[in-house]
Amino acid sequence: MPQPVKFILNWGRRYSLWVMNFGLACCAIELIATSTSKHDFIRLGVIPFAHGPRQADLLVVAGTLTDKMAPALKRVYDQIPDPKYVISFGSCSNCGGPYWDSYSVTKGVDQIVPVDVYVPGCPPRPEALLHGIIRLQEKIAKEDIREKWSGQLVKPEPAQTY
Amino acid sequence: MSSQSPLRPTEIITRLRARFGQDVVQADEVHGHAVLTVTPERYHAMCVFLRDDRDLDCDYIDFLTAVDFTPKGRGFEVVTHVYSTRRNHHARLKVECDAEHPRCATVSDVWPGANWFERETAELFGIEFEGHPHLVKLVLPEQFEGHPLRKDFALMSREAKPWPGAVEGEEIDE
Repeated sequence: MPQPVKFILNWGRRYSLWVMNFGLACCAIELIATSTSKHDFIRLGVIPFAHGPRQADLLVVAGTLTDKMAPALKRVYDQIPDPKYVISFGSCSNCGGPYWDSYSVTKGVDQIVPVDVYVPGCPPRPEALLHGIIRLQEKIAKEDIREKWSGQLVKPEPAQTY
Repeated sequence: MSSQSPLRPTEIITRLRARFGQDVVQADEVHGHAVLTVTPERYHAMCVFLRDDRDLDCDYIDFLTAVDFTPKGRGFEVVTHVYSTRRNHHARLKVECDAEHPRCATVSDVWPGANWFERETAELFGIEFEGHPHLVKLVLPEQFEGHPLRKDFALMSREAKPWPGAVEGEEIDE
């Protein structure tokens, strides 16, 4: 794909992230706070909140994922159309957090779905999510969609003059 | 009816002692509540009495749970906390259960609210509530094996990495 087209596609993709709210615990309150007027992630192009996974581009898993809830998360993720991105928000969804030794908590949502950005904190402040979103956008900007879908590295195209 | 003042814990204990005698094994006042250890045989009858007696009038089950005393050489203890919404007093019943095959009479026919408490206690502690209409798992996943709130339940994460601080209760043990 020629470089300018790739740039435009990635630019469009990263500033139009319709977010799916997967709030499971107290972190969800911080996620919702990030969407409201004070922190306002719409200024970064993140649109709250998709009515269902089929409209969404970005999945934010905020809170404690239990083993019983894990199949539901997998199902929501599978329903999101490609290209899709996942932010793991808070210690519980990153690694189990304070429930690291629990019998019922999944120790990290990356066991269930692939995660693009991890936001640490218990719970992280809304600013931390904004930072995470910016990091995700930087990642999308550098993305090669052929690589993402094929899972294989693509040789960079030789520089051309247009 | 609603203007009646709450019974004092000693009055609740006196009434249950008068009716059930030696089946009230032990009775104390804890934080303003009557706490009674009772025999498993008369536990159900005592619950019916607590609900139906005009003075006691305990119409609401606040919670039902269990405590695992097996590390202390005892069995399990089922704890039932009831409350009178009309008179604003509390009573707590404790029943000893066997450590090998813990079983206890159901009180879900006395207070329908006990149904889910007993299902939860059954799956988390492995206590069988005899006479319960539908004793299946409530909160755990269907395929879950074991009773996670038992003291001998092995936590896989702690097998790999032991708890870094003091174990619960270790500091106050004599």
